[in-house]
Amino acid sequence: MKTAQTIYQEGSHRWVVIARDPSKPNCVIDTNEYLISREGDNLLTDPGGSEIFPAVFAALSTIVDPMAIRYLFASHQDPDIISSLGLWLECNPEIRCYVSRLWSSFIPHFGGDENSLAAIPDEGMSMPLGSGQIEYVPAHFLHSSGNFHLYDPDARILFSGDVGAALMPPEEDELFVRDFDKHIRHAEGFHRRWMGSTEAKLDWCERASRMKIDMLCPQHGSIYQGDDVMRFINWFAELPVGLSTFRHRR
Amino acid sequence: MSNKPTHKTSSGELAGFVRLNEGIKGVVLIAFQINIMALNAILLAHRAGEVALGFGVISKELRSLSVELTGLMQELSNDAYLAVNLISDLLRQERRYRLLKKATDLVADPSPALRDVMVRREEEFSLITYRVRDVRLRLLDRLEDARKLCQFGTAISRSAKIEAAYGREYGRALAEVSQEFDQKIQNILPSIEALCTGMQRR
Repeated sequence: MKTAQTIYQEGSHRWVVIARDPSKPNCVIDTNEYLISREGDNLLTDPGGSEIFPAVFAALSTIVDPMAIRYLFASHQDPDIISSLGLWLECNPEIRCYVSRLWSSFIPHFGGDENSLAAIPDEGMSMPLGSGQIEYVPAHFLHSSGNFHLYDPDARILFSGDVGAALMPPEEDELFVRDFDKHIRHAEGFHRRWMGSTEAKLDWCERASRMKIDMLCPQHGSIYQGDDVMRFINWFAELPVGLSTFRHRR
Repeated sequence: MSNKPTHKTSSGELAGFVRLNEGIKGVVLIAFQINIMALNAILLAHRAGEVALGFGVISKELRSLSVELTGLMQELSNDAYLAVNLISDLLRQERRYRLLKKATDLVADPSPALRDVMVRREEEFSLITYRVRDVRLRLLDRLEDARKLCQFGTAISRSAKIEAAYGREYGRALAEVSQEFDQKIQNILPSIEALCTGMQRR
């Protein structure tokens, strides 16, 4: 079963990561879900696929009442991100799921309708959560054509979706990056293949480098913190990505 | 939901209705052939004149029968389509129920709200199950009507054989047509029987 671990807390403001499910089927990629709570408002990022819904739900229940989740955020449209939407709506039909405007008529194939989906404009937006604000930061073409990250300026945490993701062997599956050089080897192949646009990558790196980020939290793999955040941004900026690298590898 | 159909039985049921639809297509094709054949038989009887008056009446009956059978098959097909939709929905509901149940089982102390969700799921599932049962019963009624129609068809195709014997110089041609009628009707009956058996078994 997945476990819930608090990674940031300041009063009622907290970030909890739901991660690492040793009992999940091997055919299903492991994912990290993040709960952001503030003064009773609860938002869950990339809530995951249908098949891991029970594990996410149960792990969340050790921290909050999962029925009290008010908002979902889907960084993009992939099934491992949001195919559980229909199940979340069964539990709470009032849930609002924030997603790129590009996907607001595609995601209802997983569940929900125009009332349950809130379209994020291409330029991004802010929204209140408790007494604070969170920001939906554009990350288009990294990897999806309608892609957002979520930034919490008070916690200085960036949820970065697939950016920063690593496919790690079970023996190195740590929650936080401990040895950047060792870790990043497991991120390289993923980023080369999935991040198709050098232009989008450099634009994101430039913007991310100006943000105050203490933790960079991807949807797969380990969390980057402290100096490793900028190490990752620099590494990503230098990494050749896109079709040219794919052609060379064939 | 333990006393209700499982995913396996719903999948089997779905396959049964899909097979039914395929069987219906076969019957509709034969009914179309009977219709064309009956039309030709009416023209032949007309040419034969007085000696084939009875044959002409029977051919008209067979033509009406083929039209009625086609209509009945269309209604059956509509019901089978409805059943396929309902069972597809049932399969989706079953999967959702399974995942929600797993979540409830993993939670140490499920909240009353979560229990309410499960109750609602079960109620919705029961409702669809009842609707599928109603459609199946209606299908069985229609199949029974089709069987009776075919039995009537068998009887009048035999009468056609008798009438052909009075056809004098047209006797041979009328006998051939009446033989073909009989064969076509005999082809439909096993299909209808198979469809009835397939539905009753579920």
